[in-house]
Amino acid sequence: MTPLANALACLIALGCALFLWRKGSSPYRNGALLAGFLLLFGVFTYFGGEMFDARSINLSLEMYPFRMMALCLCLSTTSLALYRRRYLVLAQALWFWVELFGGIALFYRGLDVAWTRILAIFWMGFCSTFLSKISKEMEFCLMVFWLAVWVFF
Amino acid sequence: MFRYLMAVGLVLFLPGLYALGLSLYDGPSAWMVDSQTFWGTPISLFVFWIGLAHAGTLLSAVFVALDIKLDRRTALIAELSTLSSLVFAAIYPLMHLGVIENFYMVAPFADARGNFANVRSPLVWDFCCIAVYALLSLLFFVTHLKARKTPSLEKYRKPMAWLLFPLVLWVHTIVSLDFATTFVPEWRGAFFPVYFIAGAIFSGLALVNLILCTEGYRVRLLERLQLICSWFMCAIWIWDFMLKGSFCTSAFVFAGLFPQLRMVSVIRENKWGRVALSLSVLLGLFLERLYLVSPEFGSSATATFGWVDLGLLMFSVGGFMLVFFGARRLLDRYAESAGSYFGEVDGSDMAKAEEAEEAEREGFRGIEKTKKGFYIQPWSSEEYRQLRFPLLLGVVVTALFTLWIFEQQSFENVELSFANVIPLWYPLFAFMAALTLFVRAYFVEKSFVLHRAEKIIGGALLLCLGACAGAFFAGGASEKPVEQFVRDMDAVSGVHAEDLNRVAMVWNARCATCHGTDGRFNEKFVREYYPVPQKLDLARLDSLGVDSLVRVVWNGRNNMNSYAGRLTLDEARGLVLYMRHLAQKVPEEETEGKK
Repeated sequence: MTPLANALACLIALGCALFLWRKGSSPYRNGALLAGFLLLFGVFTYFGGEMFDARSINLSLEMYPFRMMALCLCLSTTSLALYRRRYLVLAQALWFWVELFGGIALFYRGLDVAWTRILAIFWMGFCSTFLSKISKEMEFCLMVFWLAVWVFF
Repeated sequence: MFRYLMAVGLVLFLPGLYALGLSLYDGPSAWMVDSQTFWGTPISLFVFWIGLAHAGTLLSAVFVALDIKLDRRTALIAELSTLSSLVFAAIYPLMHLGVIENFYMVAPFADARGNFANVRSPLVWDFCCIAVYALLSLLFFVTHLKARKTPSLEKYRKPMAWLLFPLVLWVHTIVSLDFATTFVPEWRGAFFPVYFIAGAIFSGLALVNLILCTEGYRVRLLERLQLICSWFMCAIWIWDFMLKGSFCTSAFVFAGLFPQLRMVSVIRENKWGRVALSLSVLLGLFLERLYLVSPEFGSSATATFGWVDLGLLMFSVGGFMLVFFGARRLLDRYAESAGSYFGEVDGSDMAKAEEAEEAEREGFRGIEKTKKGFYIQPWSSEEYRQLRFPLLLGVVVTALFTLWIFEQQSFENVELSFANVIPLWYPLFAFMAALTLFVRAYFVEKSFVLHRAEKIIGGALLLCLGACAGAFFAGGASEKPVEQFVRDMDAVSGVHAEDLNRVAMVWNARCATCHGTDGRFNEKFVREYYPVPQKLDLARLDSLGVDSLVRVVWNGRNNMNSYAGRLTLDEARGLVLYMRHLAQKVPEEETEGKK
């Protein structure tokens, strides 16, 4: 996938995050949205990563829609009204999970594990557990960090 | 009701038992085996039951951890279903190995005994993860059961729930890596961990909803979650289709489309409608597992679901019904007071739990509120003893284990990466933390009271575990000297029977896992490790020469590990000569067979 498409993926995840966990929304709405987003991320990865072309298949894209989903969940937690820290840590744990075990699966098939990205997410998740109050500024810093990890690592 | 269900279980179980016996006697040829992946029905059933085993932890531990209220009765039923499912999940991988008596070779002792076919194999992780998961689930269930009579145990549930929450996800992730780390095109998927977890949660929810129907009540939250899970599964299946171009239509219909009928109120409000929806999900996910494990299923004449496969399925379903409803009746009679019936569903338990939580918030855990804010006593607080100390101990033990692994002399010639060891970290960490909590509850606080019968059973289990661990770890067979054999043995003939036995023991301990006891290699097992080793052939062995083969044994080759430091040169030479002896026997037997 080109760096431009990768950055676009980031924007799509950010856009999707806006629709999650609206006040008074039912579990059905949020569940349907998440499933729909996953489908959208899958379609984006298929065309953005040119996976229709068997000659240029990139193995690391196998988990790309799930990475996008994890990023979307991370970004969406900043808009939560209650239990923000808990779900913020859990969303980062999901991202870490997808990256770590996806990386191990690919490692056995000959690819290198993206240790820098994994460690960055781990440390951010770990440090987030110590956040006592998440201010607007801190929300912004977290989002910048996640987007930076996505784009640069 | 439970008696009737147990009778149905027995009717399914008995013919299933016959199929199981036949399968064990005949070996892998008895059941459906995919010619491409060499995996078959036992692995499908393993994945299916291990998925169902997630219900208990999902519904109880995860809900406790996330403060989502669930009544005691539903939680206990879910936990019991986990334990019952695990019994059957554990049977099938043993069958699949083909060499059941060698199952200990996948125990996480690294290469202490020098008999791992491949220390980097994901199969090594399974044993450790599932064993720890079973143990912690049992501990969690017993704690929950005893908490009614001993309320002080209630405070241990939340730390244990937080330990089990990642563990339940970890276990299914590890199971998914058995597939995702291979080169089989249909199992290509770095997303398999998430896929498997979603499938496991979906099937676990369907099982609990089905069991709740037999109990005569429903929990709408779980039904909603089941429907939402079906949407996720559909999205994942579509991604899988985009990636590989193949699709299991029957799974999509039964587990993807039919569950949408829950949106029709007539079906949703009818008990039999709910039963049908849950059964449809379970059927769909079972078919999906069959398709996943054996991609040829339904499209090839060789991969047909026969009577033995059906018998194995009946064995597990019938066995589950017997174990679950049997335990349910027994616990109802002995563990819970008459009439309380595994807890109430009128919300009284939840009210009590809320009161307890409120009390906890008001100054428990050694947190002293002062005008300046919180002050947490670092070493003597309740929080430290219940939470931080077990976690720290878990981290220390895991770190020591990792150091020990990398310090093993036998791994010097094996390129071992962190990626090979990381999957063992969390189970070890969780095990140590849970053990510390248990020791504290039992020995220090004495709140975990065990009856005499429970103590005897627990003690016997511990002794048994210790003896097994000691025996697996110590080994013994490979320590017998073979110098005598090497000195006396002629390279081609004139082998003394007693000496032959000694080398045969070394061969069986070190080499038979892959190469087979008869030298024709254990094909069923070896297919997990690419590339497949060469078959023993006299002409090929002679062309390579004894010295060259000794070097292969000594230094390793492809997926074969180095045995330098674990065998003496004489032993290695003895093995090469024994290999030649076996190679001589193979053509003889084949010639006799042709005659």
